Amino acid sequence: MSLEEFKNRDISQSNYYKVDIDEYPTTNSAKFFQVVRRTFKGEMFVGLWVVLREMFKFNIHTLQYPKEKLPITPRYRAIHEMQRLFESGTDRCIGCGLCEKICISDCIRIDTRYDESSRKEVSEYTINLGRCIFCGYCAEVCPELAIVHGGRYENVSEQREHFTLYEDMLTPIDSAINGTQKEYPGFGAITPNESVKKTPLAY
Amino acid sequence: MNKINFKLDGIDVEASSDETILSVARRVGLYIPTMCYLKKTTPSASCRLCVVEVEGVDGMILSCQAKPTQDISVTTNSEALIKERTNIMKLYSVNHPLECGVCDKSGECDLQNKTAEFGIDQQSFSAKDQYREVKEWGLLGYNPSLCIMCEKCTHVCNEIIGDDAIEIEYGGYSSTITPKGSDTLDCTFCGECIAVCPVGALTSSDFHYRANSWELTKVPSTCPHCSAGCALEYEVKNSHGGEKIYRVVNDYEHTTLCGAGRFGFDYIADGSKDEMKLQSAVDAIKGAKAIRFSSQISNEEALMLQKIKEQQGLKLFNEDARVYSKFTTPFSSLATREDVKSSDAILILGSRISSDNPAIRYAITEASRHRGASVVNLHPIEDALMQNVITQFVKYEAGSEEGVMALLVQRLVCDVDDATKRYLDSLDDGYLSAESNFGEDELDEIAAMLSRKESRVIILGADLLSHPRAENIAVLASLLQRYAGFKVLVVASQINTVGVSLICDLDLDDKSIDGTVGYGMPAEFTISYDDSADLQVAPLSQQEGTVVTLDHQLLPLNVAVEFNGYVLNDIANILGIGKRDTVDFTSELPQSAGFKSTAFDLLENFYQHDGLDTRGYFIDQTESGANSTLEDIEDLAEFNGTVIYRCDEVLQFNALTAKCAALGADSALVGSAQFAVAARVSDGDLITITSAGTDRVREFKLDNTLKGTIALEPMVDREPLSLLGRYRYEKVTITKGSCDE
Repeated sequence: MSLEEFKNRDISQSNYYKVDIDEYPTTNSAKFFQVVRRTFKGEMFVGLWVVLREMFKFNIHTLQYPKEKLPITPRYRAIHEMQRLFESGTDRCIGCGLCEKICISDCIRIDTRYDESSRKEVSEYTINLGRCIFCGYCAEVCPELAIVHGGRYENVSEQREHFTLYEDMLTPIDSAINGTQKEYPGFGAITPNESVKKTPLAY
Repeated sequence: MNKINFKLDGIDVEASSDETILSVARRVGLYIPTMCYLKKTTPSASCRLCVVEVEGVDGMILSCQAKPTQDISVTTNSEALIKERTNIMKLYSVNHPLECGVCDKSGECDLQNKTAEFGIDQQSFSAKDQYREVKEWGLLGYNPSLCIMCEKCTHVCNEIIGDDAIEIEYGGYSSTITPKGSDTLDCTFCGECIAVCPVGALTSSDFHYRANSWELTKVPSTCPHCSAGCALEYEVKNSHGGEKIYRVVNDYEHTTLCGAGRFGFDYIADGSKDEMKLQSAVDAIKGAKAIRFSSQISNEEALMLQKIKEQQGLKLFNEDARVYSKFTTPFSSLATREDVKSSDAILILGSRISSDNPAIRYAITEASRHRGASVVNLHPIEDALMQNVITQFVKYEAGSEEGVMALLVQRLVCDVDDATKRYLDSLDDGYLSAESNFGEDELDEIAAMLSRKESRVIILGADLLSHPRAENIAVLASLLQRYAGFKVLVVASQINTVGVSLICDLDLDDKSIDGTVGYGMPAEFTISYDDSADLQVAPLSQQEGTVVTLDHQLLPLNVAVEFNGYVLNDIANILGIGKRDTVDFTSELPQSAGFKSTAFDLLENFYQHDGLDTRGYFIDQTESGANSTLEDIEDLAEFNGTVIYRCDEVLQFNALTAKCAALGADSALVGSAQFAVAARVSDGDLITITSAGTDRVREFKLDNTLKGTIALEPMVDREPLSLLGRYRYEKVTITKGSCDE
């Protein structure tokens, strides 16, 4: 089909035709016989036969979901993760509050305080995933690459709160220290093949 | 005044003789960048960003301190000027820590703005950085590496506040701000230095790293603590744990705030609604013979109480406002703080002004620093905080205020009418000056000082209002107003003392009466902002309403944090005299007392860019026309033995400030070494103070800055009823140890 043909929206043209459909029954008896006819014709087995045939062919395209998962693209925006600094394991988040500011669905809340070593410390950090629209602005605005979108898209739990606490989103400390923390590609991320220096704050 | 005409960037402008080039430019809307300029202080000329060129003059001129002369032509923007300013900004940016992301200034930063304005995106000069220790000074924190040495803080501390507590330690690149003469900061903690700091160097410890300015909602309101009613903005944020006040800020270009306003906000109540309690409050009012209330209420509440009085036929007790009202009757009009600022001679009588009303103290400091005003403090106790501005201290005996006032009047008035002249001639000045210890020499000195002064102000404090002879003292003081050209400022004790005195028809408090309802005061049924009261209502900072300050200015209050309980209007509604909202009463305030019919929503609450005060409106001061007659001076009371003076610490005014953790109310009796010897107590002793049948246990603290034999006892924690109608000085007996033992 050429583009011109495709763009032609004139339905009066001959390549449009009407589907041949029987007249709907009008009398009660005709309606009754239509029901009987449909009930005993065995149309259901037509569909079942297709399934059965494909099953015995062993040519299955279905993903065995809980056991198998499709790889997701690096740009997929699922539940947030809070990253740590390499080696020292200190939280990357400096508590600047830009994610809270930029969040268009107003689902991030951050409370900070002055800690013992006179640094700004995040005392509470929550994301209300019931409100979050996963737009990714928080990750984009983060000056420290501290909040990123991870790949965990299974939002199933007994309580929504399970996903929203800072501690749950924060990388486990051992994976930060042994270097298995996953760096997420995306805006402002470390470019591939670039050697990552040890954290300068490790003193 | 002579006007000076000159050209500013080609525009013809006119300046008065005391204006600088910068202030003219600001007035006509021309932009000259500055870093260190503060309108309310003298220019410190440290930033040099405000340079301008004058035709025919070599080099650049600092517009913040240079006054224009006739017919000069000034250029505020040229390539050379921009280059000069850009270089200055480059120097400011050398080694400035790149921690803008966590800095408390969070974008409200002059340095950040100017750096962006001049496009400084790299550091083209370098200097070896040095270790600068972050300092903790109580309520303040100081980070020297962020400091740009603009000197705004030292200037306000010295010229506006009068503490003179911080100074610059000069050392070129390693200059810092340091507490004057000690390792730690010992000041009244007004926090004004935090407010004026253009970068995040001086910060409030309490607010440090807790929120960013953009997250905070500003609620413009009026400080509810003392009678000055300073403008402030509550900054509120809804966070984990509900809505909270995070900090209080002020428009520091035009207003000054004391520490109570700035740090005293953590008394906020949540409130709850309980129909039973509300009904029992209504029943209590219906069955009551009198309502006793405090002056920490809004005008609207005062009007409702007045309506309740008319409807229920009960009495209204408010000693504070009643005494104020009677005291101010003889005066034709009262002065404002602006009058104090623009005066050149100030007498303070009967007030420890630094703790009674810091706002007046700041006005006095400003008059002293900017106009060279002479300040005479007449008081039995010398005040170390005022020593920077006081030119003469006159110590008189406690209780002899009437005599002191009579002697002042006798010496200072002239061209009086015959009756007054006869009265003044008949005074036994020998007796008065002997008993009051107010000598001829001191009077001479005051008179000599005043002979050179044009605008005179006398500040009359709470000692006089609580004096048994208060009315005669007021009549005497009115002679100073009429015949000696004095403006009179009466220090009202609480935020709305003036408003209540104008609105309510008050009765003399009869403490023995049964069936009282208290509104903010203890009584048989107490309605108060305190959560232990029979019915809790909203404190002033959680209500809409208006108050009248000692300047006779009506100012609006706004809700900082929502209160979920009842307000007086709910009770009034059940009684059938309420309105939909409390502020519907604002336009109904009595016009006979000088109020206007302006509705609450039409009241402004800000200062314009040129400093014009648009807050609320000024009450027309009506002359009472009451004929006041002079009474003979009674024998002056003598206070021998152990005498204490009821006086709160600086920044403590009432039960609300006492609740504030940052202000740290201390219940100790504070006395001098001399007092300690006389009362046979020593520092840290637990003592029992007995006066007029009441006992209280306090710690005794020795204060070496105090002199004399009178100790200071805080009153915020005292039972308000026991203080009703009592003179501020009290003769007490002090026994060691607590009475329980």
